[in-house]
Amino acid sequence: MFDFPPPQIFLQLSLNGALGGAMYGVAAVGLSLIFGTMRLIFLAQGAMIILAAYFVRALFQSFGIDPFLSLVIVVPVGLAAGWLIYQGLFRKAAVEEDRNISLLIAVGLMFLAENLMTVIWGGNTAGVVTSYTASGIHILGIRTSFTRTMGFLIALAGTGLVMLFLRKTLVGKAVRAASEDITAASLMGISPHRVNAIAFAVGIALAGAAGVAVATTFPFNPFAGFIFSLKALVALALGGIGSVAGALAGGIILGLIEAYVQFFVGGSWTNAVAYGVFLAVLMFKPEGLFGRPYKKA
Amino acid sequence: MRASMSIWAVIAAALALLPFWPGAIDSYAFSFLFFVFIYAILSQAWNLIAGFGGQISLGNHAFFGLGAYATAILWSGNYLWGSLYESHPRIYYFDPVTMAIAGLVAALAAALVGWPLLSKLRGDYFALGTLGFGEIVKVLFVNGGDFTGGAFGIVAPSSTFDTLLPHYWTGLGLTVAVIIAIGLLMRSRYGLALIAVRDDEMAASANGIDTLKVKIAAFAGSAFISGVAGSLYTYYIFHVGPDSVFDLDWMLLPLMMTVVGGTGTLMGPVVGAFVMYAVFDLARIVVPDYHPVVSGLAIILAMLFLPKGLARIGFGLPGLVRRG
Repeated sequence: MFDFPPPQIFLQLSLNGALGGAMYGVAAVGLSLIFGTMRLIFLAQGAMIILAAYFVRALFQSFGIDPFLSLVIVVPVGLAAGWLIYQGLFRKAAVEEDRNISLLIAVGLMFLAENLMTVIWGGNTAGVVTSYTASGIHILGIRTSFTRTMGFLIALAGTGLVMLFLRKTLVGKAVRAASEDITAASLMGISPHRVNAIAFAVGIALAGAAGVAVATTFPFNPFAGFIFSLKALVALALGGIGSVAGALAGGIILGLIEAYVQFFVGGSWTNAVAYGVFLAVLMFKPEGLFGRPYKKA
Repeated sequence: MRASMSIWAVIAAALALLPFWPGAIDSYAFSFLFFVFIYAILSQAWNLIAGFGGQISLGNHAFFGLGAYATAILWSGNYLWGSLYESHPRIYYFDPVTMAIAGLVAALAAALVGWPLLSKLRGDYFALGTLGFGEIVKVLFVNGGDFTGGAFGIVAPSSTFDTLLPHYWTGLGLTVAVIIAIGLLMRSRYGLALIAVRDDEMAASANGIDTLKVKIAAFAGSAFISGVAGSLYTYYIFHVGPDSVFDLDWMLLPLMMTVVGGTGTLMGPVVGAFVMYAVFDLARIVVPDYHPVVSGLAIILAMLFLPKGLARIGFGLPGLVRRG
């Protein structure tokens, strides 16, 4: 009954899974930054990605701007939007001890974004079709689509830039310090509000980059974001909460798991397996698959 | 304290007498109040585990759905009353045994997952775990084959419906019963233990409280209440499907109502359910095309300007002050 497929198919599955999983990964990196500094499960991240995808589509349809070129617009807009979202919505809630308030604001933001998108663009499935959407690349008999490969590269570049930012710049070090111990960090003169705002700005900018990748690769609708947020959370847990590279790797692993389950078990079980793995990791290896033992929480 | 709660007793009595007002049963307010009762019960359930217990559960919609499914499955498959069902075709309609079983199924599920989750996970990790649990339950019911009706779900015999009166009274009765039960519980040593665990788990455990047992019991109690609410909803909606009863809104809205009303207070969840459902329903009537946008805005504004809940205003009403 259980025939192992020829290596060709196995490779193809792995490639598709990894390329798709990188999308979860880049969403997870944003979640990881925001969770790290604010301890907030930012459930609206997926909705922000879809919002960015619609924005990319509007730029393409109205002004003819190539989706990949629109990165130079979407990412700065994301940075600014993230900063504004923090200052306008989360600044007051961040100092409250009750973190349900931040969580609920995120939920409200998600509802608001989803339904504004429905009002503006309608609830139907949308997509961006360019001259190269259908083109593919053949390597060693396995086929990969150009847009998926580009999406993967965007995810890699985005994660790489965030890592460089966190490691090499003083502001990035402040963000890391605040994630590790906010009390000690503020005693060293780091302003929690500033760090939170930066984490939000970078997180939403990443959502913008992910939006470009989603817009060119998948059909999407205003309510597709939430499942993305959930998958990003799974990726986050797999990679180890607090690790940027781990978040991307977690996304890729999740993509692989989904691709295999879909092929060998059936499409309707992918979510159950994904969340089952999530629960198992949370319980038995809360520091993530390749993380150092996590001391806090 | 007991004497001051009398204003709530007066309100409950007035609500109980409302159906005798001519024309009230057919009025819009009647179905509005029925939904307020469902949300008030769900908010009380969430408040028990999160407000009093300090364990943020993001999986309570799963217990609501389990209760709804348990009712629909028992009823449509006639698993409970056998041949009695033929002579009494309405026996499952608002059957207290069926509703209790619906609650117990949810409570059992909560105890089974609560044991590993609560012993292993703290704080945010517990919240994430329950969120994952809720999604798993939904997928299990989609893949349940004939037993759960798959992606379509189960349709209960809606021919039993003739009036909203039993829904209204059962909803009101359950809301009052839940308030009294939680009020009594929080005055007992078990309630004190729960608050002690919320405020400082280490200290509670050092004082001889079996913290895991307390947390699991509160989680199961929360699930039981949610499951009964799901059962009540089944008698209203009749079609129980995975996308409707496992919808995340059944967890998010009660969570929001509780926070707006005041977490960790006895009457806050009820006040929050009434106020927020009124806002949502008003938006649905006034701006039908934009009402979900208004709902999103309402959540954000409520959190920005009322982060401590209506409890901070209090209106001079009893039961809105946080204990512990």
